[in-house]
Amino acid sequence: MSKTHHAQKATGKGDPQCFAGEAGPPKFKVGDQVRIKDLPDIFYTRCQVYTRGAVGEVAVVTHESPAPEDEAWDNVDRPEWFYIVRFKQSELWPDYPAVYANDTLQTEFSERWLELV
Amino acid sequence: MSSPTRQQVLRHIELVGQLQPALHQPQHAPFPEAIDHALFRAYMRTSHDVGGEPDVPIQYEEKEEEQWELNTYVTCECLAWRGLWNAEERRRRQNVDLGQTQYLGLPYYGRWLLSAARILVDKQAITLTELITKIDEVKKRYE
Repeated sequence: MSKTHHAQKATGKGDPQCFAGEAGPPKFKVGDQVRIKDLPDIFYTRCQVYTRGAVGEVAVVTHESPAPEDEAWDNVDRPEWFYIVRFKQSELWPDYPAVYANDTLQTEFSERWLELV
Repeated sequence: MSSPTRQQVLRHIELVGQLQPALHQPQHAPFPEAIDHALFRAYMRTSHDVGGEPDVPIQYEEKEEEQWELNTYVTCECLAWRGLWNAEERRRRQNVDLGQTQYLGLPYYGRWLLSAARILVDKQAITLTELITKIDEVKKRYE
């Protein structure tokens, strides 16, 4: 049985380290205001629907990896930068109590899902 | 004549009849124009993406893993080391490909186990015929 591309690539290095240096320069930096794109979502994604169209701030530029939409079919040809984005809870949930206005939520996206505001 | 197998089959048919997507309107074999963009998107929603869905609270309970659950976990890891899948493909198969009814209706490691069997068939490590034959053989040991 032949190994998947991914297993060949990650053996002895680990994931996501095996993709380091393959995505080019990151498009966004810490502090950037970004909006989550509402791309078509069929078959597979890890970009939560509740974040679509919301605006947050890049908190961490994390690592390079194939996007889940590609990796889930063992395609590792086009790694992307990943970002942790911080949202105000009130940005995500219309009924969020005003008394907790400082609450935030952080979650992770591959670069294709983000656009500068 | 009513054999135990027929009784099981009929009970199965009755039960699967109760497994329905919770869209409470007539929906069998719709004409294309009955599916607008909103409805199409609802159908296509990946079943693991439950964040924000209105739901009732679930009681949190401590539960130790059972032996078969640990065995299942190790089996899935071995399939990754042997290169059959990576973690993301495993998640797609366990959490999304099986559809909302199975995602919500089966235990966590039950879904792991099913996806392990499925990928062995999909990637032609075994045939479905071999799998069915083996399950039938093992089942008979307990009859």
